[in-house]
Amino acid sequence: MAGFSMRPCGDFRTTYRQDTRIFDTTFVRYAAVFGVVATALMPFVLDGYYVNLFIQISYFAIAALGLNILVGFTGQISLGHAAFFGFGAFASAWINNHTGIPVLLSIPLAGLLTAAVGLLFGLPAARIKGLYLAIATLAAQFILEDFFARADWFTGGSSGAAANPVNVFGYEVVDDFSFFYVCLFFLVIMYVLGSNLMRSRDGRAFVAVRDHYLSAEIMGINLTKYRLLSFAVSSFYAGIGGALYGHYLGFVSAEGFTILLSIQFLGMIIIGGLGSVKGALMGTVFMVLLPEVMETGVSALSIFDWANSTAVTDGLAYIKEMAIGLAIILFLIFEPDGLAHRWQQIRAYWKLYPFSY
Amino acid sequence: MFNETSKGDVEMKKLIAATAMIATGLSVGAAKAEDSVFVGHLMDITGATGFIGKFYADGVRDALSYIKENGGIEGTPLEFESVDYAYKVPQAIANYKKWRSRNNMVAMQGWGTGDTEALISFVAKDEVPVYSASYSGHLTDPTGKNPKTAKPAPYNFFYGASYSDACRAMVQWAAKDWKDKGGEGKPVFSHIGDNHPYPNAPKEACAEYATELGFEVTSPVVVSMKPGDFKAQCLTMKEAGTDYGYLGNLGPSVVSLVKSCGTVGVDPTWLANIWAGDYETLKTIGDVDNYIFPVMTSFWTDEGVPGMDLVREISKESDKSGKEFRTHHYIRGICSVYYMKEAMEWAKENGGITGANIKQGMYARTDWVPKGLEGVCMPATWTAEDHRGINTVNIYSGEAHDGSVKVTKLETVTLPRRDDWLGY
Repeated sequence: MAGFSMRPCGDFRTTYRQDTRIFDTTFVRYAAVFGVVATALMPFVLDGYYVNLFIQISYFAIAALGLNILVGFTGQISLGHAAFFGFGAFASAWINNHTGIPVLLSIPLAGLLTAAVGLLFGLPAARIKGLYLAIATLAAQFILEDFFARADWFTGGSSGAAANPVNVFGYEVVDDFSFFYVCLFFLVIMYVLGSNLMRSRDGRAFVAVRDHYLSAEIMGINLTKYRLLSFAVSSFYAGIGGALYGHYLGFVSAEGFTILLSIQFLGMIIIGGLGSVKGALMGTVFMVLLPEVMETGVSALSIFDWANSTAVTDGLAYIKEMAIGLAIILFLIFEPDGLAHRWQQIRAYWKLYPFSY
Repeated sequence: MFNETSKGDVEMKKLIAATAMIATGLSVGAAKAEDSVFVGHLMDITGATGFIGKFYADGVRDALSYIKENGGIEGTPLEFESVDYAYKVPQAIANYKKWRSRNNMVAMQGWGTGDTEALISFVAKDEVPVYSASYSGHLTDPTGKNPKTAKPAPYNFFYGASYSDACRAMVQWAAKDWKDKGGEGKPVFSHIGDNHPYPNAPKEACAEYATELGFEVTSPVVVSMKPGDFKAQCLTMKEAGTDYGYLGNLGPSVVSLVKSCGTVGVDPTWLANIWAGDYETLKTIGDVDNYIFPVMTSFWTDEGVPGMDLVREISKESDKSGKEFRTHHYIRGICSVYYMKEAMEWAKENGGITGANIKQGMYARTDWVPKGLEGVCMPATWTAEDHRGINTVNIYSGEAHDGSVKVTKLETVTLPRRDDWLGY
């Protein structure tokens, strides 16, 4: 994590205001705005498959950012993130179905409810750290998963819960094209919020807790408060992501919010870069697109005659699964600081060209 | 050598084309013939349910490629793609969207609870009939007639009795069995399975019917979907005095449960759900009596069944020698495809092969069996308000000793189409 606590030489600030800017330079600000506008124009050019991939990236990226705030910024650990993601999905459907609160409002409400649940399961963090905390959060995963299967009143048990489509001023968002914009809206808001949080007093307290909890405590930071707050914020993000997922599918089933997804969330932030807001987004893009690229590769082979027998197709299916694992391992070996770090290096290279050091 | 296009050259060009496609992210399936129809096939052969998913997937895939090679849908060429989604819901959704936006998919062959339930809303909106192997009762209520139905699934079909109905049929058999054996008092029934949508699907429905038939129903015994040492659970059953135990899990989990119980001398009559009842599972258990399971098709080894000729032809698609043994899951996969095929043929004659017309095609006949599969698939009836295609269950009993497996047919139970059982 050296990249985040140290700055390369030549990169200096003269005021505190400069030091806490969201966008480092004017160019970056324009680039970010341009990026959002370009993404917004995407569904006009690309087909439904890409639109769907973007929607998947959005709800996972929101949840991944939450986990990154907890793991990457505050130095805690959670193996139950998928359960919070699922809780958000069920909570939003439940709020909307039982109280009639419009979906657009029930999504943030579900986030708050999930934050409360996250706070509860984060309580052990007040006393334990590291591996012990990891196991304590594993309990959250199992307890909530069991809860989903049992709590008929809340989740519909084994038959699942129906989630209504998002309704904006009487217009029902039922197709991917319009849901894309709902996702983009939440993605931008949550990421701007996340970046802002890290500039605030609370955000800096998170980082202090991560870097050296003893020093942080001596400096007057209430460790328990910030650890719990981090769990709450993290679950809030997971809840929002989950709620979007639920309303996108229109149906939430207890299936799917398993420990595997929790691990996948961890994979996203490790690959993207621990302690980086844009790293969470990059890692999610990587994790969502990797199996798709592999799949395209496998199906591209089918133009060869030899690749059309059942034995070869089955073999390729296994190779595909293994390749995904291999790609992740190689990535961790050659880029342990994550995609965000690599991105920074690429930028620095061009900025300083031809005098890079 | 270079002025003629050698075979190596062609291969090289294909390789370049393939690389280019990967690079640009284009799907190969997008290049499809004019006026053909496309069917997507989601399978799990490497994921969590791959143990059993492979048998079913092979059946679906062989049947689709057999139809493709033998005239398609009444002359309309059939295109299909089989994709292993490894039981990961996001991949299932992405593939569905890809087929929908690029291949103009008219129908889909799906697999488990995960993908089927995630796609319920999409397929209803896009009017794409889905034929899955998830037999949850709540998929059978297309209009939401039963107030218990959380989400009506108008475009979901499956071939076979629902988990609930299969369990009810076995319970009905068990009630008779108890009397025949001269059992005294109330027989005790337990649901055994993980706390997970698939084993839970028939839990309440089956327990209700068991109570109705005079069983004493114990609280469900939770057994993990992953194999392990389940002696503690077996002893719980011993204490409860379980006479009939419904097995809700499948594969290795069921094997280790039955084995664990054998070790501690707990030996109830097992009532297995359809995925836990097959030759392979019995063989792995190795030593068991009284293993009851439902079957929806004929067996690979059955003699004198007219439809088996076609099944054997289809099997040659992936096994040229024709020697490989096929489970009844494989044959059920074929039935699932052939019901879809005939509905597509009906659609072709009645306004074109679209999803909505295929759905109507499913309702066009009653008690029908796809042509060529007589005696293999059971007569099925789907109506616009009732997607319980099959309400008849063949009950088989299996036993295994010293590596040999014996399966005998016990009874055929026909359940009433009760309104309060719809979608439940």
